[in-house]
Parts: sequence; structure tokens; C-alpha cells
Amino acid sequence: MGDTQVQKQRKLKVIAASVILLGGMALLVIVGIKRTSIRHFTPDSLVADGNSVNNQQVQVDGLIAEGSSQWDAADFKLTFAIRDRETTATVNVIYENQLKPDNFKDGGSVFVEGKYHATQNLIVATKLMTKCASKYEGAESATPTDKTSYISE
Amino acid sequence: MTAEIGQAAIYLSVLSCLWAIGFLSFGLWIRNARAIQSGRNAVIATFILISIATGALIYGFVTDDFSMKYVVEVSSAAQPLLYKITALWGRMSGSLLLWLWLLTLVGAIVVWQNSQRIKQARDTLSDYSLIPIAIVQLFFTILVTGLIEGVYNPLARFPGGQVAADGQGMNPLLQTPLMAIHPPTLYLGWISLTVPFAFAVGALASGRIGSGWILRSRRWMLFSWIILTIGITLGGNWAYKELGWGGYWAWDPVENASFMPWLLGTAYLHSVMIQEKRNMLKLWNILLITLAFQFTLLGTFITRSGVITSVHAFAQSDIGGYFLSFIFASTAGVIGLIIYRWNRLKSANRLESLLSRESAFVLNNWLLVGLTLIILWGTLWPIISEAINGEKSSVPEAFFNQVVIIPGILLLFLTGAGPIISWKKITPNNFRRMFLLPLVIGLVGGALVWGFLALIGYTFPLYSVLCSFAAVFVLAAIFAEFYRGARLRSKRQETSLLNGLNLLIQRNKRRYGGYIIHIGIVILYIGIMGSKGYFLLESKSMTLGESMEVGKYKLTMIDAFEKEYGNYLRSGVVFDVEKNGKRIGTMEPALHDYYKSKPDEEPTKEPAIRHFIMNDLYLAVANVPHNVKTGGVVNVQGFYNPLIGVVWIGVAVMVLGGIVAIAEKSERSRDA
Repeated sequence: MGDTQVQKQRKLKVIAASVILLGGMALLVIVGIKRTSIRHFTPDSLVADGNSVNNQQVQVDGLIAEGSSQWDAADFKLTFAIRDRETTATVNVIYENQLKPDNFKDGGSVFVEGKYHATQNLIVATKLMTKCASKYEGAESATPTDKTSYISE
Repeated sequence: MTAEIGQAAIYLSVLSCLWAIGFLSFGLWIRNARAIQSGRNAVIATFILISIATGALIYGFVTDDFSMKYVVEVSSAAQPLLYKITALWGRMSGSLLLWLWLLTLVGAIVVWQNSQRIKQARDTLSDYSLIPIAIVQLFFTILVTGLIEGVYNPLARFPGGQVAADGQGMNPLLQTPLMAIHPPTLYLGWISLTVPFAFAVGALASGRIGSGWILRSRRWMLFSWIILTIGITLGGNWAYKELGWGGYWAWDPVENASFMPWLLGTAYLHSVMIQEKRNMLKLWNILLITLAFQFTLLGTFITRSGVITSVHAFAQSDIGGYFLSFIFASTAGVIGLIIYRWNRLKSANRLESLLSRESAFVLNNWLLVGLTLIILWGTLWPIISEAINGEKSSVPEAFFNQVVIIPGILLLFLTGAGPIISWKKITPNNFRRMFLLPLVIGLVGGALVWGFLALIGYTFPLYSVLCSFAAVFVLAAIFAEFYRGARLRSKRQETSLLNGLNLLIQRNKRRYGGYIIHIGIVILYIGIMGSKGYFLLESKSMTLGESMEVGKYKLTMIDAFEKEYGNYLRSGVVFDVEKNGKRIGTMEPALHDYYKSKPDEEPTKEPAIRHFIMNDLYLAVANVPHNVKTGGVVNVQGFYNPLIGVVWIGVAVMVLGGIVAIAEKSERSRDA
């Protein structure tokens, strides 16, 4: 009888320890997400839904609008517009005191994180990422792109 | 012709994979040695066939065969030979072929290893394990045949006999030696993890679920761990040197995808010791290695499915779906086998106390698996959040930095406590003998570090205090272990302490190699704490003659230059560097413009880095106008990165420890 009692107690201890550990981890994640989670938009959805996130951190994923980007060296400032992949919606972006990421070019994919000011339709970016043209590129880019560069045999 | 031969080889290897699976299963079922041998031969045949296919693709690169679609995409005539060859893994199709080739190489080595041991002891575990390996090979072979939608055959030519005038060339960012070896290193690490997984499946299938399968695949797991450690670090090092944002780790989904299998592999390396010593955790070990293997595939899903926004992955492709299906199917297979063998998976022993080495190992496992799941949750949050409330959100770097701190510090503490706590149950004697001194040294050492940093004016949050305390404690505990063992040996053999230390490590490479890894972990933590917690960043628009200050360094822009190299133009500025008023040299951050091969690409940043003992000075420029010498403005960022060199040293020590541990050839369990 005494033996099973000890075993039971041991089992309880193990369960208690597991619950504390699991609970702790879950808590970490929940609090972490609550504190840091940032809503994600396309330029189109941000323009449509902008007032709900006025003065809040947002992330936007789109393309660099052709001809929109300007580098102001004197003020260390990059300005450009991010264009929706499907519609004509654009959002303006300011990125100050930061270097331009490599691969930043007209029409390229870009990802912006920063505070959105709905009245000016402007994001003051704190983070800017361009598509890294690495090994992970998708398969659809594998079709012959520039027909004119091919010659027939 | 070569491309056609390569294609034929790929199609034939579909057959050889099927042959291997069929004959091995059938031979093991009816216990027919000839059928089994035929299956083994098929595994070797797959290796030869895929080698031919890979060779054919490399031949296409070297001979600039621009009738081949893949060659056109990632190579060009002007590309240096080295990068023509590394273009093999420049994009998806070729990466898959490389992955497959390494996997067939691994399969062939497993067959060879088995042929070496059959002479001593016949058993079928290896043959059972070849079946899952061949199944994974089959999956990848089918992907590269190009017969399914979304992936094309890397050896395919353009339709209608078209030939391109020149290739599009590989992205210049990838044309560095580091990037040439980083992807294959990671692949090799992931792929060699297939072997312990296959042995787990083989153990389930054959019903021999002792620790035999663990010991037989032990060195594979360690190899995978070492290579993954190197591969992940190479990626960080590349990002640091090439991308110009001054850091080496940003919790990008791709980085996470490489880190999660590493965490699970680390957990597994620990938990198997419990099975060997105490015959516990049998089921857990099988689940853990299955999970680790699946995470190597999940990484590909995350980076290639397009569901996650990352610096690496925007482009969508169907391949994610295939990977996900394969993950589900193979996991279901393992679960089926587990249910089939349920009765043999019971543990012989139970945890006797929460304060014991067993518990320390279990806690280590829970923390590592927990961390993995937390990182997975954060990485997949864009999908999860959309599923929960229809609003897509994601978490920034800060999320990961915050959530890893507590489990991270607990893990650090365990690297010291685990090796010195006694099995079964801690005793007052064990505590006095092993813990007391390291704990005291840890407290004193932590307080000293704290006091010193406070004195020179650094802020010192609680986690830094805990981290320094734990670091000193672990070092004290591990050095004490080495010292005790070495002294005992030197006394017994009547030799010097150093000789004793050498003997000690030689006698139990696995255990002391592990301790060396633990020392490396401590060094790594110190480096991470310094470089992540205490870096400084200054940005400034400058003209010639102006100065900026970054930490204790004063930088004066004294010159600008433009220089033509092989296939790029290098333009940069020259900084005069002063430290505390003393001139110590110059630095030249620059931009590389590959305007010939990539006319519409922006130039890439080439930061200048100076390494000092305690810190790095890191300079990058955003633009170098042609008129710098006549007043043009240059935008400069300077980073003061403390202890970043320590990060690389820590990893080097970890790898060294891994090499010591892998040198242990014995398949007997010797860990005391």
C-alpha cells in the first residue's frame, strides 16, 4: 500500500511540473503575441480599412510602384509608394536613417513594417525587406521570360 | 545528349527506388537473403543514376548549354567557373536534385556500413532502415522528374529547340564563397537526419526496439548536428558580411526553418542517453526523431509554399503542398507502426525524483521541444491568425527575442546542472560535492560581471544578470568535472594533470565531447548577449571631411573611389578610423554594381568590418554618388557590435566538441 502511495505522489508531482511548464510556455506565447503581433495588409486592404489602424503598427506586402522611389541623400531618407499586386491602390512609405535593402528596384516585391497615418495614407517604416532572389524562388519564374533573347536552332 | 542521359537516369531511378522498396520489404518478409541483397543493390543503383543526372547538369553549366532552361536561369557565360557549379543549387529544381543526390549518397553509405558489419554480426536493422530511406528518395525523385505540376526537371531543355543567347546569371548576392557552401551544408545536415529517423522506423518495423537502433545511428545524428550547426552559422555569417544591416540573426522564417530541426536534434541527442542508461523514453525518442525529420521537410514547406512572407520566399509554388502531403503520409505511417508495436514501447523504469539527472534530461527535452513549438507558432502566426479571426497578422523579431529568454536561460543553467546532478535522485552529498562550489562561483562571478558593467555605465536588465550567473556557474561546474576526472586519471596512471586530461577525454570521447559542446554553448550565449543586447547604431548623411562617432570610434570620411573589376564596378568611400583619439587605420565600405550582367539591378552593399578582440566596427553605405569629391552626400550607417566575434568562437568550440564526440566509434553505451 505504502509503495503505491509513493508512486501516486510521484506521478502527481510529475503532472504538476508538466502543467507548470506547459502553462508557462503557453503564457509566454500568448503574452508575446498580444504585445507584438502586427496586422498584415495588402495596399488595397489598407487603403480600404485604414481608419481602423490609424497610428498603429502595420505590415504591408506589395510591389514598389514604378518611378515612385526617391532617395534623398541630404536627409538620409527613402520615399516610395507600395502598390497592390492586383489593384491600383498605393500607400506612401517613408524610410529614414536606414540603408536601402539590396535588390530594391522598381516593380520588385517589398515588405514594409511601420506606423500607418491614415490621413496621409503614409507608413513611417521601421523595417523594409525586399525579395531575396535566392534559391527559394518559385517555379513559375522558371518559364522562358524574355522571348526575344532566344534564337532558333 | 548529356541532358537527355541525365533525364533518363532520373526516370530510371524512379524504378530503382521502387525496386529497393519492393525487394527489401519482400525479402525481409520471406527472409530471402538474395531478395534483400537485390534491394540493397538497387539503393546503390539509385545513387549511381542520380550521380549521372547531377553530373549531366553540372556539365551543362560548365559548357554553357543555354538550351537548358535551368542553366539559363541561374548561370551566364561570364559567370566564374566556381559559381557556374554552385549555380546547381541556385534555384529550386537544382536544389531538389542536389538534395536528392546527397540523400542517395547517404543511402549508399548506409548500405556500405552494413556490408562492413555483416561480417561480425548479422542483423536486418539496416535493411529495414533502407526502406524508409528509399521511400524518401522516391518522393524527391518524383519531384525532379518534372512530371508533376509546379516543379520542372532541372535537365529539361526549352521546347522547340530554342537556345538562349546567354543565361540570366545568378544573383550577385549569392556569388560569394560563403553562399556557395551554405545551402549544401544545411541540406547535408537535414538529409543526414534522415538516417536516425530511418533507423527508428526500421526498429519499429523489425520489432527490435532496444537501444540498438539508437547506437547504430548515433554517429549519423551527431554528424547531422555538427553540420547543421555549421550550416546555420554560415548563413548568419553571410548575412552579417553581405547584407549590410549589421546583424546575423533576425528570426526570419527561413532561419527558423533551419533552427527548429537543430533544436529537436539537440533534444534527441540528450534523450537517447536516458534510453541507453535507464531504458526509459522509448516512445518519446521515436516521436522526437520523427518530429525532427518532419521539421526538415516542413522547412521546405514554409519557405517554398508562399504562405509565409520572408526575405527568402515570396514566390508561390505547388511544391509546398507536395511536401505537406508527404509529411502527413509519412507521419501517419510512423504512427501506424507505433500502434502496431505498442506493447514493446513501454518503459522499464519510471522517474524516481524530480531532482535527478533523468529529470534534468526530461526538462531539457521539454524546453527544447517547447522552444521549437513556440518558434513554429510565431513563424506560422500569419496562417494561424488568419484562421482564428480572419485577420492576417505576424510577429516581428521582438516576439522571438522576448519569448526565448526564459527557456533559454533555463537551458543554459541545465548545461551545467545536467552533467553534475546524480542519477535517480539528488542526495545532500551530491549537492554538497558537485553543486555548492559552482553555485558560489556563479553568484560571485555574476555579481562581478554585473558590477563591472554597471561601473562603466551599461544598463543591466534582469535577464543579463541571470545569464551571467548561469554562464559562470556552468563553466565552473564543467571545468570542475574535467578537473576531477583528469586528477583521478593522472593519479592512477602516475602522470601529469594534462596527460590525465587527455586520457580522460580519449577514454570517453562522447561524454567529454559533450561537455566541450556545453562550454561552446556558454561562449555562444555570452556572444549573443553582448551583440544582441548592447550594440550601438549611428546613421549620418556625410560629405567629404566630415566625421561621425560610433561608440569609442571616430570616423572621418577622407576619400572616395571607383574601381572596375571583372564583372562589377566597386564604388566606395574611405574612412579614417580613430579610437580614443588614436588613429588605427582606414575602412572602405562600398557598393558593387553588376551593371554588365544585371543592368536593371540595384548595386549591392559591401560593408567594411574591422574585428577587434571585444567588438566589431561595421560600416555600410547606402549610396556613393559620383560627385563625392565635389560635395556629394553619402549616407552612412555605423554599428558598434560588442562580443560578436565571441559568437563565432562559441560555435567553433561547439563544433570541436562535436568532432570529439563523433570520434567515439564504439556502439556500446559508455556514458556514466
